Amino acid sequence: MVPFTYLEASSLDETLELLAQHGDEAKLIAGGTGLVNLMKQRLVRPGFVIGLRALKPLAGIVEDRGLRIGALATMQSLEGSPAVRRHAPLLAEACRHVATVRVRSMATLGGAVAHADPNLDTPPALIALDAQIVARSGRGQRKISVDQFFTGYFETVLEPDEMVTEILLPPQPAGSGTAFLKFLPATQDDYATVSVAARVALGADGAIAAARVALGAAATVPVRATAVEAALAGKTADEKTFHDAAPLVLEAIDPIADFRGSAEYKRKMAIVHVRRALAEAVAHADRLA
Amino acid sequence: MRSLKLAVNGTPVVREVADNRLLVDFLREDLKLTGTKESCGVGVCGACTVLLDGNPISSCLALAVHADGGQVTTIEGVAEGDRLHPLQEAFLAHGGFQCGICTPGQILAAKALLEANPHPTRAEIQYWMMGNLCRCTGYYKIIESIAAAAGAK
Amino acid sequence: MAAASRTGTAVGRPVKRVDGVAKVTGRARYSGDFDVPGAVVGRCLRSPHPSARIVSIDTRQAKALPGVRAVLTGADVPDVRYGRLCRDYPVLAQGVVRFVGEKVAAVAADSVDIAEAALELIEVEYEALPAVLGAEDAMRPTAPVLHPEKVEIGPGAVAGHHAELRMYPPIPNVISQLTLGHGDVAGALAGAHRVFKHSFTVPSVHQGYIEPHTCVVSVGADGIVDIWAANKGPHIARAHMAVAIGVPENRLRFNPVYIGGDFGGKGSLMDTILCYYLALAARRPVKMVMTSFEELTAGNPRHSASITLRTGLDRDAKIVGIDARIVFNAGAYAAFIPGPTLHGYSELAGTYRVPNCTIEVLRVYTNTVPRGHMRSPGSPQVTFAVESHIDMIAHELRLDPLEFRRRNAIVEGDLTPLGDRRRHMRCRETIDAGARAFGWDKPKALGVGRGVSIYEHPSGSSGRSTVLLTMGKDSRITILLGAPDQGTGFHTMAAQLVAEHFGLSMTEVEVAQGDTLSTDFESGAGGQRLTMTAGQAIADAAGKMKEALTALAAERLNCAPSDVGMGAGGSFSAFGTTVDLKSLVGWAASRGKAPFSAKGQNTATQPDVTGFVAHFAEVEVDRETGQVRLRRMVTAHDIGTVINPILHQGQIEGGLVQALGQAMSEQIVLKEGAVITAHLGDYKLPTIMDIPELETVLLPGGVGPAPFETAAIGEMSNVAVPAAITNAVFDAVGVRLVELPVSAEKVLEGMSEKAHAA
Repeated sequence: MVPFTYLEASSLDETLELLAQHGDEAKLIAGGTGLVNLMKQRLVRPGFVIGLRALKPLAGIVEDRGLRIGALATMQSLEGSPAVRRHAPLLAEACRHVATVRVRSMATLGGAVAHADPNLDTPPALIALDAQIVARSGRGQRKISVDQFFTGYFETVLEPDEMVTEILLPPQPAGSGTAFLKFLPATQDDYATVSVAARVALGADGAIAAARVALGAAATVPVRATAVEAALAGKTADEKTFHDAAPLVLEAIDPIADFRGSAEYKRKMAIVHVRRALAEAVAHADRLA
Repeated sequence: MRSLKLAVNGTPVVREVADNRLLVDFLREDLKLTGTKESCGVGVCGACTVLLDGNPISSCLALAVHADGGQVTTIEGVAEGDRLHPLQEAFLAHGGFQCGICTPGQILAAKALLEANPHPTRAEIQYWMMGNLCRCTGYYKIIESIAAAAGAK
Repeated sequence: MAAASRTGTAVGRPVKRVDGVAKVTGRARYSGDFDVPGAVVGRCLRSPHPSARIVSIDTRQAKALPGVRAVLTGADVPDVRYGRLCRDYPVLAQGVVRFVGEKVAAVAADSVDIAEAALELIEVEYEALPAVLGAEDAMRPTAPVLHPEKVEIGPGAVAGHHAELRMYPPIPNVISQLTLGHGDVAGALAGAHRVFKHSFTVPSVHQGYIEPHTCVVSVGADGIVDIWAANKGPHIARAHMAVAIGVPENRLRFNPVYIGGDFGGKGSLMDTILCYYLALAARRPVKMVMTSFEELTAGNPRHSASITLRTGLDRDAKIVGIDARIVFNAGAYAAFIPGPTLHGYSELAGTYRVPNCTIEVLRVYTNTVPRGHMRSPGSPQVTFAVESHIDMIAHELRLDPLEFRRRNAIVEGDLTPLGDRRRHMRCRETIDAGARAFGWDKPKALGVGRGVSIYEHPSGSSGRSTVLLTMGKDSRITILLGAPDQGTGFHTMAAQLVAEHFGLSMTEVEVAQGDTLSTDFESGAGGQRLTMTAGQAIADAAGKMKEALTALAAERLNCAPSDVGMGAGGSFSAFGTTVDLKSLVGWAASRGKAPFSAKGQNTATQPDVTGFVAHFAEVEVDRETGQVRLRRMVTAHDIGTVINPILHQGQIEGGLVQALGQAMSEQIVLKEGAVITAHLGDYKLPTIMDIPELETVLLPGGVGPAPFETAAIGEMSNVAVPAAITNAVFDAVGVRLVELPVSAEKVLEGMSEKAHAA
């Protein structure tokens, strides 16, 4: 474990001041499952670690037409939250798939977003849900579409003095159905070979009005498969449509070969699982309509 | 260094710790509670499981300061004196362990499960307990032990 | 599940483990849990090269770091080589490194953080040398030679009957070449109706014990060296340690510890010798705990293997001969196994009648992680090959794979493939019992595949077990054992056997583990031998104790010992008068004749009965992804008397799931000689959500070779599992996997190749 100075402030403003003060030398810690691991392996050596435990208000989940999720809400709280299950069951489902019960009790949504590991399960769900990330610093606050938030492998648009304070989910289109698929061909406790989060809204005529499809573990960032979405718009919600649209996912992804599969296999699996996720999302949409 | 004030197995503890001290080392070395084990070091195996405010966490991935002001339960706090917890009795009766190294973590995780869900189905037991690895038993008797303890309550 | 063949006062009963309360309360202390006052931490710097000359090592900065107590390199320790048989392993690298992960320097420091910081300050200059990574490549005339020095070989390099063993033959990098068999294979294959040849590859897997290798060494002022080490055979360890460090055995005290899993991987000294030298240099006790990264990259995992089998059949699809070539990759050092090669060859095709058989086994050095023992060493590799090969032949001949096995199954009166005669052969019965429970012939859904694999393995009997029984004044018997129970149930088994011998209940016996100064030689667990060896030692000691009690009873009852009979609950009677054990012992104590002890040993007889197992697997393959879902399994065991049904079943279930890992998700992956599956995020052990529905069938009426007709189970349960699964995959989608592990991608690729070939 690397040496560092631990700092903790009792208010958000004080925390932001600490962050501004130490900038590049500081890392924020919420649940810590990501950061502590990196520090133990001596891959990350911050001079200062700023703890967020005292910021209880940031752990709340508020219904406000859509949902306002505090950055410190844990996977466990989101999974079990009646508000999340009502407004965005896709997020609850993604949280249910995260790692193990121990990680879920510690890891936070804000932490997952800021950590920007492309293998994580919640970011694709946030993309499919059209989320906005609220980032604050001593200089003010901004809202960033999750589509623009991730810029590279463990990289985001966050400035060194910014922290994620909320994740906003807009009201979901009426009658939309969602699905989350995490493909685990080896053991059940693993990063996905590929994961797909899909949201499909049907029009009054039963055709696909709009879709959002996102993938995890398929590139250096979680990606949105806009070509797939475009190919779905206005089409009949049937197997042929899904079958024809799914291969367009290849335009969005750039998988890396690793223990979970070769790049070629991951590309094939992305197509298969996009198709399956669309079918499942539509099946749920039917039930809501 | 900071001053830590927490409760460990119901007993108040006040200690100075280095900022970067891991909870697992604090428990094992500073408090001499060696029932909590460290194995994989990356939060996967669950041997280091303790309960923080009732929730199972990986103590090998938690800073000791993270537990400040909290209630930590380790395996040493599961029995009440000489009276074993129903889970401990069940593991004994049903062979839910062999070498025993993963057992403290298994029992703590299972304790949290039964407190959240007193009558879990087999699938619910498997879902919750995934993440507590065992190399000896093949898990069948762990499931049986937890189901038996749930039935006994 | 069939009942145990025999139930007495203790044997056959599902009693709680004697170490159970300690384990479920966290009070059981493993090697890393002992608080040795003043102990500091030891850590190692390891080679990043698979083969290199060490040009220079600069430790000055490391030594100067506050909190560092000692820094050692090869120059600071004697160049004495350690090995369980082949003594080729240096304490620290001496001039060259031979694998990525080899220990180059070691630090003792006040904390892990300081030790890690100190390691970063050590500067090593290497000159990379050519490395050889594959076993076949290593045997080529142009291959770099890993050990040009003459390796000292300890006693024990024996071939066994029917075998010819050459240690370090004139083939580059070969540690041992074993050839054996019987009959005329060349003639049999020449005259065969059909001959089939197939090759198989099995990669290394790690034992996966949850407790990493740990040792604490404390050099006492009185000259006694106290050691707490995760080692399942402390007496053997002590003997090797004494030779390695030049300290007499009676000054080395290996203290009793619990062990957090072994599976064959904790039989070597690992870091213990180095830890001793660090303790001397630091003038403090030193604790060394291997990190998980170190275990996965530089432990002593299972040998990888390439196996080629050629089998000839006659017109009736009966096997006329098998020729096998097995190449085991031993990695950079031979030190970690106690024999010349892995014994798995001895079970090759042991379930079949093979009138002519030759086997060649080569164990080869490569510049990779040194391999060791793991649950039935060599057998999973060999059995994966045999049971896949048999299945492939059956399918080629358009015969049902089960029926083909039945037709060729070894029966009473047949010689084994190695030319041995055994009795009580229940191969066919085991296959049939399993097939019945599994419903082999029942209709199956589309896309479902079924596979079978079978295996034979006698109870182990090697090594020496010594047990000391002490009859206390209160008539409770204490059983003093010289080795730990690493989880398989040795200590509980011992208690049950002793209780059974005297007709006592478990509350009347006590198990204690002593240190190596206070106990006689005990080899400890290995090769599923303790049921036999400890069972015999216990029977021997119990017999002597009964004699002593009989003599006491005779004195008490005023008659000749021959007039005395032993009854229920350890009572003694003569001519209608009975004295219970408690009274007898109390009486003896009042005359200074109790407590008293009796020592027993095993007789090292090779069993002439063996055990069989048949595994049945049912899978479903997702045709779009290749993912194999294991729906259910049946495992049928030909067993002896079950001592403890819970422990026995625990071995069956645990072995099966461990093998599931080898079959489906585990692989030590090497890249340019370095192990890159370096943490549990990448090396995937089976989880509780990965286990199949499992039914166990135990054949009643078994006859085991050990006392009370008990038999071994520990290495029966894992070996043949992978082939059952790959055979089921073939049945489902026609894809034959000749290497492990199964992966969805490989299956999908196989299906795609099949489609293109069609």
